[in-house]
Amino acid sequence: MVGLSLGEKHFIQGGIDQNLRSDGRKRDTYRPISVETGVIPQANGSARIRIGATEVIASVKAELGRPNALQPDKGKVSIFVDCSPVAEPMFEGRGGEELSTELSVALQRCLLGGKSGAGAGIDLSSLIVAEGKICWDLYIDGLVISSDGNLLDALGAAIKAALSNTGIPRVQVAAGASGDEQPEVDISDEEFMQFDTSGIPVIVTLTKVGRHYIVDATSEEESQMSSAVSVSINRKGHICGLSKRGSAGLDPSVISDMISVARHISEQLINKLDSEISAAEADEDEM
Amino acid sequence: MAAQGGAAPSTYTPTPTKKTQRSPFFSDSDVDWLRPDGRGFHQCRAAFFRTGAVNSAAGSAYAEFGNTKVIVSVFGPRESKKAMVYSDVGRLNCNVSYTTFANPARGLGSDNKEFSSMLHKALEGAIMLETFPKTTVDVFALVLESGGSDLPVVISCASLALADAGIMMYDLVAGVSVSCLGRNLIIDPILEEESFQDGSMMITCMPSRYEVTQLTITGEWSTAKLNEAMQLCLDACSKLDKIMRACLEEAASASQD
Amino acid sequence: MGLPDASGDLSSEMEVDAFRRLFPLRYFERHLSESIRPDARPLGRARDTTLALGAVASAHGSALAKIGSTTMLAAIKMEVMTPSTESPDEGSIAIDFHMPPICSPIVRPGRPAEAAPVISKQLSDTISSSGMINLKELSLVSGKAAWMAYLDIYCLDADGALFDAALLSAVAAFSHLQIPIVSLNDDGKIELISEEDDGAKLEVEPVNKEKRKLTLSGIPFSLTCILHKNYILADPTAEEESIMETAVTVVLDSSSRLVSFYKPGGPVLAHTSAVQDCVALTRQRVKELQNILDETLSGMEID
Repeated sequence: MVGLSLGEKHFIQGGIDQNLRSDGRKRDTYRPISVETGVIPQANGSARIRIGATEVIASVKAELGRPNALQPDKGKVSIFVDCSPVAEPMFEGRGGEELSTELSVALQRCLLGGKSGAGAGIDLSSLIVAEGKICWDLYIDGLVISSDGNLLDALGAAIKAALSNTGIPRVQVAAGASGDEQPEVDISDEEFMQFDTSGIPVIVTLTKVGRHYIVDATSEEESQMSSAVSVSINRKGHICGLSKRGSAGLDPSVISDMISVARHISEQLINKLDSEISAAEADEDEM
Repeated sequence: MAAQGGAAPSTYTPTPTKKTQRSPFFSDSDVDWLRPDGRGFHQCRAAFFRTGAVNSAAGSAYAEFGNTKVIVSVFGPRESKKAMVYSDVGRLNCNVSYTTFANPARGLGSDNKEFSSMLHKALEGAIMLETFPKTTVDVFALVLESGGSDLPVVISCASLALADAGIMMYDLVAGVSVSCLGRNLIIDPILEEESFQDGSMMITCMPSRYEVTQLTITGEWSTAKLNEAMQLCLDACSKLDKIMRACLEEAASASQD
Repeated sequence: MGLPDASGDLSSEMEVDAFRRLFPLRYFERHLSESIRPDARPLGRARDTTLALGAVASAHGSALAKIGSTTMLAAIKMEVMTPSTESPDEGSIAIDFHMPPICSPIVRPGRPAEAAPVISKQLSDTISSSGMINLKELSLVSGKAAWMAYLDIYCLDADGALFDAALLSAVAAFSHLQIPIVSLNDDGKIELISEEDDGAKLEVEPVNKEKRKLTLSGIPFSLTCILHKNYILADPTAEEESIMETAVTVVLDSSSRLVSFYKPGGPVLAHTSAVQDCVALTRQRVKELQNILDETLSGMEID
């Protein structure tokens, strides 16, 4: 919990009103973002993202599994977030659990698309090895290490970076198995395939403080919010998911307005992230 | 008898001999198909509400939209749990659970954590929490039968139950969802339609104040479609609001007699 | 409860209400001495009882029972199991009684009500020992497949006499039960035959064409009474149960044979005569309940 005095609250709100926030940013500026990939060697892909004092890690683990009977031509992806009590004393016990569930649900909604798989950032049919029999199951884990607001955007970016860092071993399916038999597979140690990550959306959270809304709020600013809208947007400018936090109601026209602002900001964020990710990949290769 | 002890025998639900397939009209979006229950794309199911379903609760409501049947009970304001710290605004505690027979295949009848937190978020903005400091209002929902659009029905029903309990609110909360199937938008989807949807949107709003308390979107949406869906939901919410108000008025005039 | 403005014009009633809350036992005893109960019932009369069948479309059999405001929703789902080796030609029944948080202010999510498992067990015992259902009728293919009937009863509103209402909803659900037609496929699995194409082109022989309904014999009905001093109160409300703690539940079948008898402790030690009175009250009540069930069933057939 952030305990602020009345004066500090006024200072934050006044700053936002005048488009000059406490740390010198404008309402629509992000804090510096830094990306580091391949931070967990055991995982198939991983990344660490720092946005200001917020730090999160995402890891991707791939395992062979059986596709769902209803969708035999698609792999499965699950996203789970853990909020470490190290990041914030409040995360200990139930508080952390609730936040973890909320973030996990929001990320699933923003990245995995509809029930039929349409609009998903990850092309689920690329995860199939043998239709109806074998597919890759991706387990995406997010870990919040240090929390200073805007966790959802950071986690979304970390997952995007971790997926571009992910290599999945190429699998040879032994021919000959027919009917209901489970075919034998040969997993390659050398050949890896990369994901097409261009379709993965970014998440932009607009936090409403007073009459204005800001991007990339710090936890001090978040304590003053009346509501927040997180929009996930892909490169095409299409909305891939949306969730709202905070108790206060919003006028529908304000929401439409926020969505179009988020779309505008997402363009810059996608470009910024892409260049950071490729720089991080290059760094990793050099080492 | 199962009560005789020992390991419970594993059982299964017999499946039909003819495998049900994804109905052709869902996969081909260009065809003008009919909805399984014969409704138009932008037509909601007939809504039925009744307050005072549970006598032992402070307030309650029953809602029936086609096969979706839910009961919501409200208890309190009552003492908060001992472990809670002092709070000068009231607390709202929500829980949504399903019966074992709610779904076509027998389930375990467990709590739905995601829906519980969504219900909380949808209602909290409409309740005057400052009118019951230090205490808690419990909103418990039981989905008797799941027939699609469960969450919006639970939310609308819960706001009626709150009104029935005399909890002060700024406005009722009406919830409506829209599914996107191919190029078509269909409102108030049933279970079958939900399982094939490409995207979905749920809006809960306070119709008289014209404020959205909760909005969730999944799937890929273009701006035009997004705006169309939002307008569709908002219009349906204000219609639903009229039905909900009529239900409350009826209950109030019945109690006066 | 009790909004400030709601009590404004009820000042004359406030004193009675306060008395009721502060001295509940004396309040009740004053009524009992006049041979009447606060809800205007005579001591031996049960509350109005209604039954509705087929309330749950997704179940194979269901019933909604109301005794006063106590409401129970029972639903049966049929699944297939492999029968045990000891009884290869018998099906099975699993009964579960639930008290969800909506039913009473005492139940909270995550903390199940203490009464629920007790009533669950009582229901299972009563239904199995009454012999109402012949488990052989649930057999499909001897030694290979049999029905497992899952009966789940949800208490929607708890206002006393929970067991009576639960049992009534359970027997009503069983009498409403419509068993689906199934056949045995090549893998030894049971499959459903859809209703539309029956008769016309049945490639597969149904295994249970004749067994769509259960024959219920000796249906059990129950009545719970509260014993307090020399008074016997039939069909108590939740308030009465909380104030006077000695309850006696008698279960008789339709031919008035005693199926079971519960008196789980309580401060009042019952005389034999009191027990006999309870049984006599139950005998009357069984007739009423049997009539209600018959009327509801015949109402269904007309439809």
